[in-house]
This record gives sequence, C-alpha cells and structure tokens, in this order.
Amino acid sequence: MDPIIRVESLHKSFRDLHVLRGVSIEVNRSEVVSFIGRSGSGKSTLLRCINRLEEPTSGEIWIDGVNIHEPYIDINKVRAEIGMVFQSFNLFPHMTAIDNIMLAPVCVRKISRQEAKERGLSLLEKVGLAEKANEYPEKLSGGQRQRVAIARALAMQPRIMFFDEPTSALDPEMVGEVLDVMAQMASEGMTMLIVSHEMGFIREAADRVLFLDEGKILEEGTPDDIFNRPQFPVTRDFLGKVL
Amino acid sequence: MLKDYTESNTFKKLRDTSGRVPLIRQPVFLIASCVALVLYGSMLFWASGEGLVIRIALSVFVALLVTWTGIIITDERRGERLKTSMVFLVLAVLVLLFLEFHVTNSEEIIELFFNITVIKKAWPYLVLGFKTTISLAFMAALVSTVIGLTLAIFRSFDNKVLNFFIIAYVDFFRAIPIIVLLMLIYYGLPFLNIRLSAFASGVLGLGLNSGAYVSEIFRAGFLSVSKGQLEASRALGMTPWQTMQKVALPQAFKAVIPPLVGNYVASAKDTALCSSISIIELLKAGTAQQSLNANPSPLIFVTVLYLILFVPLTRLCGYIEKRMKKTQRQITV
Ligand SMILES: Nc1ncnc2c1ncn2[C@@H]1O[C@H](COP(=O)(O)OP(=O)(O)OP(=O)(O)O)[C@@H](O)[C@H]1O
Ligand SMILES: [Mg+2]
Repeated sequence: MDPIIRVESLHKSFRDLHVLRGVSIEVNRSEVVSFIGRSGSGKSTLLRCINRLEEPTSGEIWIDGVNIHEPYIDINKVRAEIGMVFQSFNLFPHMTAIDNIMLAPVCVRKISRQEAKERGLSLLEKVGLAEKANEYPEKLSGGQRQRVAIARALAMQPRIMFFDEPTSALDPEMVGEVLDVMAQMASEGMTMLIVSHEMGFIREAADRVLFLDEGKILEEGTPDDIFNRPQFPVTRDFLGKVL
Repeated sequence: MLKDYTESNTFKKLRDTSGRVPLIRQPVFLIASCVALVLYGSMLFWASGEGLVIRIALSVFVALLVTWTGIIITDERRGERLKTSMVFLVLAVLVLLFLEFHVTNSEEIIELFFNITVIKKAWPYLVLGFKTTISLAFMAALVSTVIGLTLAIFRSFDNKVLNFFIIAYVDFFRAIPIIVLLMLIYYGLPFLNIRLSAFASGVLGLGLNSGAYVSEIFRAGFLSVSKGQLEASRALGMTPWQTMQKVALPQAFKAVIPPLVGNYVASAKDTALCSSISIIELLKAGTAQQSLNANPSPLIFVTVLYLILFVPLTRLCGYIEKRMKKTQRQITV
C-alpha cells in the first residue's frame, strides 16, 4: 500500500539558520510515529512544514499521493485532512467549546450547523467533556482545553493527526487524561505523528520512533529498538536525560 | 496603601505623640464651635446693614468657617461621606452669603449670561445646530471606521509596498491640524474643480483625520491576536479570509472597543472645528445667535448642551474600559 505521507529530502532554513537538513520519511496508514530529539532539533518545524504552516526551503512532500507543492493544489483542502494539536491549545477564546469544534466543519466542510453540532457533541462525549459544551475555554482546565482542541481537530474527520508536544504545557496530573484520549485514537487506527517527551506513552502507543538530531533523522526503529538498543552516543545521551 | 497613608499622616502624629487627642479635635470643641458658628452666621444674616463693620464681620465669619471645615477635613477619623457633605454645605453657605450681600450684581449677571428671552429666541437655531453636530459626528465616525478598518486589514497582510502607503497616510493625517485639513478641503479643492458641500467637507476632513487613528487602533487590535490563533485556524483548513472573519476580527474587535469609543468621542468634539467652514453646527449656531442678540446667553447654553452630550459619553468610555479590563484577563487558550 502507498504511504499516506512521504517526505523527501526536506530542507528548511530560517534566514541563515539551517533547521532541517534533508529529512526523508514515509508514514503508512494507521501508523503511529513519534518524533523525539533535543530542543531545537527541528521537530516542530518538521510537522509544520508537512502542513505548510512553514514553507519548506526545498524538498518534496506527498500527502495521500498528492504533491502538496504543485501549484494547483488547494492547501486548505490538504490541511483539512490533517488535524493539528498544539502545545498551547490555541482554542478560540471568544467561542464556547462546542462552537470551537463546529467552526471548521461548517466553514470548510460546509455541513449544516445541526449536523456539526451533533458531531461535535458526540466528540465531546468521546473526550469525556459532554457537560462542558457551552463553557468558554477560559473556564476549562489545561487538560480539558487540550481535549477540546483534540475534539476540534477530529471534527474535521481528518485522515492524519499531528501532535506537537500536546502535554508539555499541562500540570502533571492532567497529562494522563490527554494521553488516554490519544491512545484511544491510536487504537482506532488513526494515522498519528506525535512530538512528545512522554517516553512511557511513546513506548506503549508508537509503532515507530524517529530520533531527530540537528535537522536530520539520526536513528529510527521500534520503541524497543530505540529505547533499549540505541545505536548512537547522541541518542543514548538524550535518552539518558529524559528517561 | 490607604493604611500606609494614614499611618504617616502628620495629623495623626500630632495627636498621638502626646498620647492624647488635642483639644481642637475633641468632639466637645467641635460641637461647641459648630453651634457658635451657626449662631454667629444667623446673627449676620439678620443684622442687615451697610458699611465696614458688616464687611469685617463677614470676613471673620468666612475665615472661621473655612478653618473649622479644615479641622474636620484633615481628621482621618471622620468618614469620607461626612467630609464631602461638609464641603458642599460650606459652599452652599458661601453662595447664600454672596447672594444676600450682592443682590444687585447677581441680577445683572443673570440678565447678561442666563437671559431666558434670548435663549428662547435662539432655541430653534441651537437645536438645529445640535442636530447638525450629531450627524456630523456620526457620519465622521462611519467614514473613519471604513477607512481605518480597511487600512488595518491591508496592513495586516504585511506587504512592504502597501505598508509604505498606509504609514504615509497615517503620518500625514495625524500630523496635519484638523482645521487646516478642513480649510484645504473646503476652500482648496474647488480650485481643482472638486466642489463639496460644507457638510460633506466637514465629514471628509474629520473622517480622514480620525481614520488615521482608527487604523492604528485596529492594527493594535490585530496584533493582540496571537499567531497561535491564526495558525490554529489555518491548520483546520480555513482560508485567510475565513480566519480574518471568524477568528481575528472578533478578537480584535473586543480589544479595540474601549480605545475606539474614546476616539469617536474625541472626534465628535472636533466637530466644533467645522464652524470654521460655515457649517452651522452647535458652536456656529451659538456664536451667530450671540451676535444677533448682542448677548452671550446662547453661548452659555451651547456650553451646557456640549456638557449634556459629552459628560455621559466620556463617562461611558471610562466604564467600558473598566469593564473590559475586568473581563480581559490575558489567558493562553
Ligand atoms: N519562525 C521561526 N523563525 C526563526 N527561527 C525559527 C522559527 N521557528 C523555529 N525557529 C528555530 O528553528 C529551530 C528549530 O525549532 P523547532 O521549534 O523546530 O525545534 P523543536 O525540536 O520543536 O524544539 P522544542 O523541543 O523546543 O519545541 C530553533 O532553533 C528555533 O529557534
Ligand atoms: Mg517544538
């Protein structure tokens, strides 16, 4: 089967800062891939290049067999298929939880408000927040906000989900509730790209771990390979610090 | 804060170093002196007469009254409400004394500045002027909002060429005095064969000027919407225009309401400048009626009308600002 994401020799520079130095990856359908690496190694930049929140400097990206840099591609259609969850939640503060979730399905997918609302409510139920539908983000805890953000991404019925350190801004006691939701999505066969420092979760949920170092994929393998038999001193060093 | 202030209050120290409350702050003294003052005052009131004696007695009374008020006001054991009512009471007494002893003068003053017959005659014209002022202010607010919002939206695209023109616009219209702008439009443009009515010139001038400020206000509003918000919206597949409409604008609007309302009020006051290009708004109506009747009462009345219009509006601004600050806790959502 074709990979759902294919990235080939991706480079990205910010002015004279060369952040990504030739990254190539393939991700299959329903695969859960986790990116680890030191701060500044380019993990966020990689995810952001794949949905073109950043313009790559060079390289090719195919999503579902479509080269997203072809001039006739509507990037909004591509993004609609990729749900993104941010470290800082980025819920819209002027909307209630349910309105946050309904916005994009109504605006982008053009489904009726009625249908969007039903879908949103069932997603809120799925992330355990059915009773918070009409709360504003301000009134929610960090863990609840992130779960609403996940439901918002899922409401677009994306084929791929990106998570950029989804639990890093949370108090320790709220990390679990978010990881539970993610684990459930993984078990339902969602394709997921996850940047995270939650090594325990990665070991459980990820099919494959990629270690990024200075803008390159230094090492990749099953969680077992990477965590128990790292090949490079840099990887060993990094894991020694976070495990 | 308040506590620190009272701790360091010299009057309190005065009282406390000796451990006793000084005589002038003791209730006995205050009540006794109050009774004495009232007696003295009423005596003055009935002892009508002329000459030096009564004047000296009057001055002594006023001096005593002021001293006595001072003693109460500087005593921090007394409540704020008592002090406030004290001040108003004393003012009332002083006004009463003034009226009692300067009757002839006050009638003249009323005749001159509060002449009812003149005001009655001027009334319909003043009302017309008042209406013109309001429609000027309203139209100028409309024009400035359209200009300002458009400029701010284009500014948010962050295109170098567009930015240059927008910044030039803002600098130009903020630098040039409104009255000069009005003159240029009303007296200058006809030479280019562009003839605008006085009213249209006024609206244009005020709108162009206020639009520069409004655009800066909206720009600050857009800047207050975090990059994360815009990225979250784009990542969902929303177009730039949808993002502007559903995410950026609503949040920016909330942030700009207080400064925006403040700007509209300030710009509404600038309508008075339009009297210089022969628009008969409130001020022009007032000055015209003043010279027609050779009496300044219409002008006084115009002042009162401006106060009636703008005191509530400026109050409203302060209220909105306070409310927004309360609800706008900066949060990472
Ligand atoms: N918009 C930008 N402009 C300039 N430099 C940037 C920009 N975004 C990222 N960088 C730089 O690129 C480098 C990689 O950033 P990136 O956010 O991808 O790292 P990361 O691996 O996600 O790190 P972290 O674990 O801290 O999130 C950093 O040095 C960062 O300062
Ligand atoms: Mg990052």
